[in-house]
Amino acid sequence: MSRAAWAAIILCLLVPILVMCMALISAQDGHAVDLDQVLAPASWAHPLGFDALGRDVLARLSEGLQLSLSVGLAVILFGGVAGISVGVLAGWSGGWLDAGLMRLADVVLSFPGILLAIALAAMLGPGVDNLIMALVAVGWVGFARLSRAQVLSFKNTPFIEAAIGNGASAVYIAYRHLLPNIAAPLLVEASFGLAAVIIGEAGLSFLGVGVQPPDASLGTMIREGTSLMLVSPYLVIWPGLVLFSLVMAVNLLGDAMRDRLDVRVDVQSR
Amino acid sequence: MIIRTVAIRVLQAIPTLLGVATLVFFLLHMVPGDPVDALLGETAMPADREALRQALHLNEPILQQYADYLAGIGTGNWGRSLVDQRPVFERILERIPATATLAGFSLLLAVLIALPLGYWAARHAGRSQDVAAMGFSLLGVSIPNFWLGPMLMLVFAVFLGVLPVSGMEQPGAIVLPAITLGTALAAVLSRMARSSWLEAMSCDAIRTARAFGLSESTIWWRHAARLAAIPVITMFALQLGAVLGGAVITETVFDWPGLGRLTIEAIQRRDYPLVQGCVLIIASFYVLANLLADILGLLLDPRQRHV
Repeated sequence: MSRAAWAAIILCLLVPILVMCMALISAQDGHAVDLDQVLAPASWAHPLGFDALGRDVLARLSEGLQLSLSVGLAVILFGGVAGISVGVLAGWSGGWLDAGLMRLADVVLSFPGILLAIALAAMLGPGVDNLIMALVAVGWVGFARLSRAQVLSFKNTPFIEAAIGNGASAVYIAYRHLLPNIAAPLLVEASFGLAAVIIGEAGLSFLGVGVQPPDASLGTMIREGTSLMLVSPYLVIWPGLVLFSLVMAVNLLGDAMRDRLDVRVDVQSR
Repeated sequence: MIIRTVAIRVLQAIPTLLGVATLVFFLLHMVPGDPVDALLGETAMPADREALRQALHLNEPILQQYADYLAGIGTGNWGRSLVDQRPVFERILERIPATATLAGFSLLLAVLIALPLGYWAARHAGRSQDVAAMGFSLLGVSIPNFWLGPMLMLVFAVFLGVLPVSGMEQPGAIVLPAITLGTALAAVLSRMARSSWLEAMSCDAIRTARAFGLSESTIWWRHAARLAAIPVITMFALQLGAVLGGAVITETVFDWPGLGRLTIEAIQRRDYPLVQGCVLIIASFYVLANLLADILGLLLDPRQRHV
């Protein structure tokens, strides 16, 4: 990776890291309500002040940031494992199984991703588990299509044929020969996917179908802040800034990896 | 030949639309437990519960419900809203103009930014202008529109007071929502314009044009632009669909009375038939936009016809 890319990534990560460290130092409870402190300005003990319920904004920011990261990583992990399994299976076996699985992927891709996630999350009901499920239901498709295409491009190469000739089982070939060879583009897909999932989680929470109060998500904080924009603009500025820098860092990482690993992935806004 | 290829592609969209309708139908039946409980709460009066069951046709066998639902879609009978009892189709239709206006302005803005920016970046590929332009593009895809919207409101409506905060009645009300929605589109399109222009410049035809001694600007605008236009136009058609997904959030931020706002209202009120209708119509537009992108690709680029 080039030095400039690293510098940009570190610069973007500075905001989230700073928030985490400051929250660790100030060690406030983001759920403790203090009605005497409603919308109170910043102080040494509370560097970002209080929200409309008298809760420490910094502590909530840090909580929301951790939620963004953990939901993002969980969705990429589950969606990645599911999608890659489906893609390798479809590409390797071909025939009706391939056709069926890819039609299913087509149907999921017939929705704007965010819309399907909103509808699923709304139907499943509130809560982080359902939020993750809704995002996985949308997110596996990218991995599935990519890994299928990759498997198809390797299927008839001599080294795979040699492995078949040696009597290797399909599972062994997939694990030992296919996965290491298709890992690079999948890694790039995973990092762009992570950025999309982080925005998706915050977006669903912003719309009220994701994380529910009193838990903090950057999305819910932006929504709460928007309604108080005239009184206290910082309540909407901070969570957005943290979210934006995090997503920017992840996207930069994806860009840098794509250039480094020299793979082509369609980056579409989701 | 070409007509046949296009016709096949159009026919292929039919099973996709059917799949979309099926998934939307099963969305309602995915509600854990009884949807009636979810709607009315477990303490509701039995008579009310029964009335709602009737309204949602929940007493019939599921395949019968599914068949009725598909038949209903075909004949414009999309069910009735649980909130005001008006036909879902009617409620959707009255929201389409607002969304179309917003989408139109956003796409126009995106094209006006993306094409010059993409050209500028390609022309200075690898230099600081390119880095700046692609930096803007990265910024555009990374900034969440539910934050960009409030930030724009804060600056232009609250501090400067030059534009209305939300709604669509006042003059200039379209500006902030269009920028909010158009930014991500501009980012994606400018990236596409840059890379396709660069790819076009590296092909044999351009080398030949150079060898003939044509001027750089003729090569860029007369020859490369035509080649570069194909993927950009296809991408633009894809964005026609993607813009609808973004509209759901943008309309909510700005209280813009379009389809996206209606979808979220319906979700908040648990108006399931209306949710189904909204999701179905947006997804159908999306499928049609993808279809349009494919057909444009086929018409513009003879190379794609044989794949």
